[in-house]
Amino acid sequence: MRDRLQTRYQVQAQLRRPIKERPAHEKSQRETTLLLPTLRTLKKLPNFYLSIVNMVGPIASLSQLNRADGSASYKCPATGYSILGAVNAPIELPARRDALKPEEATVEVFVKPGTTTAGVGERHVEGILRSVLGKIVLGREKGFPRRGVVLTLAIVGGENVERGDSANLSQYLTILPALLHAGLLAMVSASVPLSMTFSATLLGVTKSGDIVRDLSPTAAKAAVSLHVFAVSSKNHLLLNESEGRFDFDTWELVRERALSVCQGETAASADGDVTMGEGTASASLNGFIRETVEDQVYSDYAFKLDSI
Amino acid sequence: MSKEAQLSIAERDFILEALRENVRLDGRQPDDYRALNISFGEEYGHVNLQLGKTNIIVRISSEVTKPREDRPFDGLFNINLELTAMGSPAWENGRTNDIEAYATNTLDRIIRHSNALDTESLCILKGVSCWSIRADVHVIDYDGNITDAACIAIMAGLQHFRRPDAVVRDGRVIVYGVEQRVPVALNITHKPLSVTFHTFNDSKHVVVDATLKEEQAAEGDLVIGINSAGDVCYLSKYAGAPADAMVIVNKTNVAWEKVKQINAAVEKVLQADLAKRAKIGMADESRAENDRLVQIE
Repeated sequence: MRDRLQTRYQVQAQLRRPIKERPAHEKSQRETTLLLPTLRTLKKLPNFYLSIVNMVGPIASLSQLNRADGSASYKCPATGYSILGAVNAPIELPARRDALKPEEATVEVFVKPGTTTAGVGERHVEGILRSVLGKIVLGREKGFPRRGVVLTLAIVGGENVERGDSANLSQYLTILPALLHAGLLAMVSASVPLSMTFSATLLGVTKSGDIVRDLSPTAAKAAVSLHVFAVSSKNHLLLNESEGRFDFDTWELVRERALSVCQGETAASADGDVTMGEGTASASLNGFIRETVEDQVYSDYAFKLDSI
Repeated sequence: MSKEAQLSIAERDFILEALRENVRLDGRQPDDYRALNISFGEEYGHVNLQLGKTNIIVRISSEVTKPREDRPFDGLFNINLELTAMGSPAWENGRTNDIEAYATNTLDRIIRHSNALDTESLCILKGVSCWSIRADVHVIDYDGNITDAACIAIMAGLQHFRRPDAVVRDGRVIVYGVEQRVPVALNITHKPLSVTFHTFNDSKHVVVDATLKEEQAAEGDLVIGINSAGDVCYLSKYAGAPADAMVIVNKTNVAWEKVKQINAAVEKVLQADLAKRAKIGMADESRAENDRLVQIE
């Protein structure tokens, strides 16, 4: 196993040689960041440019904070949200909050909005995050039972998530994928044992029936229905949150689109190893999550790679 | 865990003994701050501040609200500081602790009560509508001295922030979008900052900008809020061992020097950022081939 790992990293070391020349803080950022400063202006230009905006992939980096056990920052240029996540695990829980499930770890999620005090919307989204992440955390591993896995997510950039008024669709769906990704990457950074990874996407159905990916909060307001799907690295559907008016056929179409967005072209080969082509992998969200973690592992183990 | 891990006796003795020989753990002089690094985000009023390993994000936001009944000419300004487990594992999510209450109080007294932000300029229509400015402090990494760090970040944020323009026409308030009219800077009357000192060894040794370990080993603290002109707007000897009167007089002078230095550093970063923004400017937004925005009145 170790040999295989080494050869894999040797191959990747060759593939990714230029990464070394880049300064450390840019390592896991894609070159697409160059497009960012003009993003706000592009949003107002015709649709042709909008399609370019949607092509700009997310940006993520791991382990930036000193005090938290693990941390990750995630920025989605299409929606404009920037999330900072921190995980403390395993941690002793105060009082007797462990008494309900003494044989496994308790996952706690806290969402801190950027420019308001937390309210009902945050509590709701915390519940969704807790149920998704709680299921993939292996809470029975050694050292985890009766302990807490505390995830804190701060919304540090992007528009304010508006308070739900019944006329509009809930704005919290627009931020949910970013929160899920930041949470997952922070868990990975804190070395919390996970049964699988996942990726999530926001899809909206417009009045004309088009399915649009990664809508901005303003576009989301105009959408007929909004859907958030999380798909695991093993192709399981982990989360389905839908809002608005839609029929079952539309939902089925949206689900298929979500699968292709999250999975992309990556295919698992017979031995269970996922083949990672440079081009196709980064197009899918699962590929993006993998690459971010891979970049981090690559820089963490730089001392080993250099000695090979 | 709801308490910061305590210093061991050996660590405490080491810090105190080193101070007797005028040495600090990180090699600083007693009156030196840690490296200060300020950067601004994409939005107006988004500040990322690093003071050594203490890392703080401040976001300033504005909205139109109704002024208070008893103060119809004043706008609202609030500082919101909530500590989460992100900054330190010792802090519990959704629960207040002593540091939070103490830091919030100090910031309120220094920035709000000294009227650093002129709230009267936030009034739009007497008794009907005014601007409510809100500063949100996110402590994302904690290594001591959050009051000074937060104070610098909030003041930098207030100077950086631009609120949308609003006018009153026929008794109705019209708020113009950022694309329609150039947003307006806030009216800052003066720039007070807090400078925190910690005392050791019967107040023989006094250091500025203590790290978390130094804070834990200290016997008392002294917070001075002072602006560039030298007006002391806040002075607190909150707890701990008594400090000599001369220490307070001397350290007030030190604090004044520090505030002048820090304000100059903030000004430099601020000007650089504004120059950068001016360059990008509204060139793309103001192009003739763009769609015209329809005015809704």
